[in-house]
Amino acid sequence: MGVIDLNGVEVRLGNRTVLNNLTGELNGHAIGLLGPNGAGKSTLINTLLGFHLPIKGDARVFGLDTHKDRAQIRGGIGFMPENDSFIGNMKGVRFVRYMAELAGLPTGVALERAHEALFYVGLGEVRYRKVNTYSLGMKQLVKLAQALAHGPKLLILDEPTNGLDPVARQRMIQLIKDIRKEGSIRLLISSHLLRDIDETCDEVLILKNGRIASLCNIEEERRSNRSFMELETVGATERFSVSIRGLGCECATFPGGRIKLVIPDHIEARDLYVIASEQGVQIRRMNQRRDSLEDIFLRAMDNDQGRTANGSL
Amino acid sequence: MAVYKRNYSAYTGSVTPVWTRVLVLARYAFDEAWSSKITVGLFIFCLIPCVLSLVVIYLADNPIARALVGARGPNLLAIDAGFFLKVLQTQSWLALVMASWIAPRLITFDLADNALPILLSHPISRVGYVFGKFIALFGSLSLITWIPCLLLFVYQGYSSAQPWAMSNLQIATGLLSGSVIWIAFLALLGLALSSWVKWRVVATGVIFAAVFLPAGVGGIVSAVLRTKWGLLLNIPVMMSNLWQRLLGVPEPINERLSVPTVAIAVMLSLACLVCVGMLNKRIRAREVVRG
Repeated sequence: MGVIDLNGVEVRLGNRTVLNNLTGELNGHAIGLLGPNGAGKSTLINTLLGFHLPIKGDARVFGLDTHKDRAQIRGGIGFMPENDSFIGNMKGVRFVRYMAELAGLPTGVALERAHEALFYVGLGEVRYRKVNTYSLGMKQLVKLAQALAHGPKLLILDEPTNGLDPVARQRMIQLIKDIRKEGSIRLLISSHLLRDIDETCDEVLILKNGRIASLCNIEEERRSNRSFMELETVGATERFSVSIRGLGCECATFPGGRIKLVIPDHIEARDLYVIASEQGVQIRRMNQRRDSLEDIFLRAMDNDQGRTANGSL
Repeated sequence: MAVYKRNYSAYTGSVTPVWTRVLVLARYAFDEAWSSKITVGLFIFCLIPCVLSLVVIYLADNPIARALVGARGPNLLAIDAGFFLKVLQTQSWLALVMASWIAPRLITFDLADNALPILLSHPISRVGYVFGKFIALFGSLSLITWIPCLLLFVYQGYSSAQPWAMSNLQIATGLLSGSVIWIAFLALLGLALSSWVKWRVVATGVIFAAVFLPAGVGGIVSAVLRTKWGLLLNIPVMMSNLWQRLLGVPEPINERLSVPTVAIAVMLSLACLVCVGMLNKRIRAREVVRG
């Protein structure tokens, strides 16, 4: 049983098929949902929340049917919608408490957890202000706080960094990473920003025109790309490159102390630093290849048939 | 865990039964409705007729007051179905004022800030959401309709020299059923119309218009077609007819101002169905996906 199981899910809105025959099992701790606008990301989230009934197939969250068991599923989900969604007339703490009580927490506990959640996301100082006086970044954070307050098993974040400035975005990403690290919550993060997904997720589902264009494990992709490295060094570059060849690396040197190398699985970056230290070589820059998600995404977008990467499906 | 510990911790405690979530909605809606000083002011204003009625009942059951009124006493201070009909009518129309103020507060705040996706992503259905708001509005309107009316009935039964209450039980049941039908209709109408209008002031006006405008249309229909069935669009007349029958008050001799009870029931049911349809169309969690 995966976190999310999709079995030939087809959803139609009006005359348009928005999700078409989605099949797959998502097991990651943090699952990224990628795709261009209109690909069906939000519709898939709404289907998982039981707002849309699939006309074919079924979707399951923790083994529960999204339509038949929707009340049970919603009890274990924290949802942060993409657009503004709050009760502006309420104070932050009251709003979060209200949502926690709706999720099933007793009144006293809900109040305590509301305070905790607001402090956790960084809104502790403004928790007695009405939500409609918050800035855009604060509104995003209060949505995250209400999604967290009841301690969900699955946290669904729909475009969590939408409209945030770089500092606020970084803060949001860091919060997501912290939540992931804590370990008790699975995350489903929808975004059209590759960087957000790359920084936070270990598994990615890419949608295109309502179909699965790719479903793969980012961690594995990263591991497979770890072997390519580019160094910028100062000092005895030639001697250094000979030494790292001795470790079993394929290596090419370029003017200006630049070295490109392919390193075997058993060699870590630390080994290179040790050799550099022994030989008095300064490593000014080390660039490990990090564009694996972009590669996957571009491949998926080029592929009109909607194949899957890594043969996951 | 103390609030200064800024780490996330999972919740492992007990959760409340799913059916109680409707009551959470109702409680917050009730708080929202009564957080306004205008609501409290309106409530006090709505109780003034009840206080005056209480004084009248006291005087009617007071031998000295009756002696002072003299020969006109039996008509002026008669506490009967007609007296309670006037109380019920007054309170019912004040309930319309109250509903038109409270109903938009319950719905439009949620709609204005697009709160439905978040609210309905919790274990609460659309029916549960509407029912929670309905309970809050129905409860608020009860405070100025059937509750004070029945308290007046009880007071009259208590202070009357003769055994009065048992012989006038139809008045009590009429007060209860007449009020409940009216405030249930008002609550549904108020919620339905508020769900379609984002601005509270406009929503208040629309609720009044929905009650009184069809009466004008009904009058035109009656005049043009020379029929009495235009009254079926006239909510004030329909309700007066219904209240008279429920309380057992003799009806006016003019047949043109009377419509059958079945027709009234059908019209009210149809209006309620339209309200449910409007709510069904509007109370949805789906987000608008831009771009």
